[in-house]
Amino acid sequence: MVAIEVPEVNYTEYSNRQLVAVPLAVLVLSLAIIGGWYLVTGAPANLGLEFTGGVELRIADDGGDVEQQIETAFERQPDSVRSIPADDVYVVTFRAADEDPGSLAEDLSTQADEAGLSTSAIDQVSPSFASDTARTAVFGVALAFLGMSVLVFALFRTFVPSIAVVASAFSDLVVPIAVMNLLGIQMTLGTIAALLMIIGYSVDSDILLNNSVLRRTGDFYESVSRATRTGVTMTLTSMAAMIVMAVVASLFGVDLLRNIGIILSVGLCADLMNTYLLNVSLLRWYKFEGVKN
Amino acid sequence: MLEPIKNNWRILLLVVVVLGATVALFAPQFGPETAPGEDVSEAQQGVTNLQYGLDLAGGTRVRAPLVGYTATEVDFGGDQPDDVASAIAGELENASESDITAVPEENAVDVTEPSVTEAQFRAAMDASGYAYEDVRSGVTQETRDVAQGIIQDKIDQTGLSGGTVQQVQSLSGEYFILVEVPGENRSSVTSLLEERGTVQIDIAYPTDNGTAVEEEVLTQDDFAELGSAAQSDRGTGAYVPVTVRNTAPEGEQSPAHSFQQAVADREFAEEYNSDLDQCDYSENPDDVSKPCLLLTVDGEVVNSFGMDAELADNMASGSWATDGGFRLTTSEFSEAERIAINLRAGALPADLDISGQGTSRSISASQGENYKNYSLVTGVLAVFAVAGMVFLRYREPAVALPMIVTALAEVYALLGFAALLSYPVELAVIAGFIAVVGTGVDDLVIIADEVMSEGEVNSRKVFNSRFRRAFWVIGAAAATTIIAMSPLMVLSLGDLSGFAIFTILGVLIGVLITRPAYGDILRRLLTVR
Repeated sequence: MVAIEVPEVNYTEYSNRQLVAVPLAVLVLSLAIIGGWYLVTGAPANLGLEFTGGVELRIADDGGDVEQQIETAFERQPDSVRSIPADDVYVVTFRAADEDPGSLAEDLSTQADEAGLSTSAIDQVSPSFASDTARTAVFGVALAFLGMSVLVFALFRTFVPSIAVVASAFSDLVVPIAVMNLLGIQMTLGTIAALLMIIGYSVDSDILLNNSVLRRTGDFYESVSRATRTGVTMTLTSMAAMIVMAVVASLFGVDLLRNIGIILSVGLCADLMNTYLLNVSLLRWYKFEGVKN
Repeated sequence: MLEPIKNNWRILLLVVVVLGATVALFAPQFGPETAPGEDVSEAQQGVTNLQYGLDLAGGTRVRAPLVGYTATEVDFGGDQPDDVASAIAGELENASESDITAVPEENAVDVTEPSVTEAQFRAAMDASGYAYEDVRSGVTQETRDVAQGIIQDKIDQTGLSGGTVQQVQSLSGEYFILVEVPGENRSSVTSLLEERGTVQIDIAYPTDNGTAVEEEVLTQDDFAELGSAAQSDRGTGAYVPVTVRNTAPEGEQSPAHSFQQAVADREFAEEYNSDLDQCDYSENPDDVSKPCLLLTVDGEVVNSFGMDAELADNMASGSWATDGGFRLTTSEFSEAERIAINLRAGALPADLDISGQGTSRSISASQGENYKNYSLVTGVLAVFAVAGMVFLRYREPAVALPMIVTALAEVYALLGFAALLSYPVELAVIAGFIAVVGTGVDDLVIIADEVMSEGEVNSRKVFNSRFRRAFWVIGAAAATTIIAMSPLMVLSLGDLSGFAIFTILGVLIGVLITRPAYGDILRRLLTVR
């Protein structure tokens, strides 16, 4: 039987600078990607329907040449047509039109009916509502992050360990966004939920580590390795659940669950790196050099 | 006797919660609210009391603002609201008094006629002489409340169970009406909502120059009692039985009497003597041969009919008004139903801007059914993945098995909560469940590792001190999750409040009930050796 052996990292071999270099490089790269995205596309990520406005139709694939029909059925060219074989549907997306965004949903569903396509779901999001949602979402994530930061500072009441948790949580948020951009995953409400979930999840292992090092007696390296053993198990377990959710849900075309799954998997990966490289080295610096001052 | 209970109260508490969840899930007393004429087993979706939301049951959700402009901080100067409204309406060419609502409690006045622009309204406010602070788009709270009530009535009238109407506020302070109707498609919901539905009865009568129409012989407000739509007992067609109000303030004629008078004046009794006499408005509307009653909805004639000879005679003799009973007939049942809805629910005080600033989501029942199955499969597989990881890590069933059972108990308790609160289960809620399994197992791992670290656990004291240490971390982690999720609970971000609510509930159930219970189970397994 295969057993999970949590690897023991020999931290003594590396200097703090070396340990911090990797997560910092990843963070800077991610920020660069997001920044570049913003410069090129005008938005920090690929915004989904909920944030741009538009109409999404799910059209049943009842045999025959549905894809061909979709091409010709609509007066406007669809912005994307996605096939989900497991569910026998095509997902057709139209971005909001500048002129008369209103009657789009009505028109499209009529056009689909006329072409003999059966529509199983229609989502319509108005552009004004979409921009409102985007603002609300950014506000929500910022508020959650701020709340988490305040709580962490209240829990540990020392600057360096607290800022270590906050910094790695920040990186845990930024890295998945960059990865989403690269993989072409759109930012939707589901991904916002996932990002907030990351704030909740990723802080767990950081708190565990800080607690082990700061509040427990014993050697620094021993504390770290104990916390690592537990923390890595936790993260891997959650990751297993999320990867399975992402794979199964994308087979079935349940976008919300798929997006949450992918983002959390990536976020948890980033968390492994940030907790055991960034956070550990900050803690070590604090423990061996910081306190002396 | 009491000792075992005292020692294992945490486990007992978990058992009680699980039993409670079972009762909430399966006992018919906790069944969903039933629509009129429906029994509990019909209202249940599947074997449990769980209610499924839009995503999983199919249906339509529409979120749209009410159209209008509101003047804020209006100084009424002690005038009656009606006078204020008519003074402002007098300054507007394209609006009548009924389009203006003055609300003294809010110090606000709104205009709901869609053709009035903001500039026109400002000009009218200035001209009316009432001081005001500003004009914003949207309507007053009063108008929103009335609209919400009317929409709820409209939905209830259709006999659909589970339809809801709420007011939600966006971050920018704009108000939206959020309507959810399970099991209906988009077009039927939007037409139900957009229909402003003014129903009235006119009389068309022959003159030398073709048809003339006497309008508003009866309007919505004139009906004292409204029956529900019924199938006609002879022939095809359907009807709505109504009773016209026959009381009036002193010195005025009651609607029943004035209607009777109008019918008598137009000589219905003379023209309709047998069943052979029929109204011919539908054949030649411009040149009728006999007087006809016209049933109009939103200014459109939906049906025209003559009158039963006996009824016409009663009206001519003046005996009808004491009773006032009357049938609005239509050719199709669905039309009768629509008229009943419009009569009962009346008109919305303002237009819902569904196509412009509205957002809607519609899912067919079969798609919902698919989503239900898929998410079930996804959830089960995710649990298997977690279980697999835990077994791989501990390789000791005594530690791993209770871990998985406890995590599942947590989800089960959450399902019980959902049934108890009649909270509709949606995809987002299921994502919340999966997230709960994830965090739940995380915490159990912390407990297990902490308790089993540093050698054998041979006394209860050692166990308790380690367990308490583990609990600090769990509590801190739970607090961060709750803080991170709480903005989602209150911000209006679509389905995500369900996700947040159930994640937070799950974390709370976990910290307060299941994790302590797991500690007790683990202690028994590790110390009883």
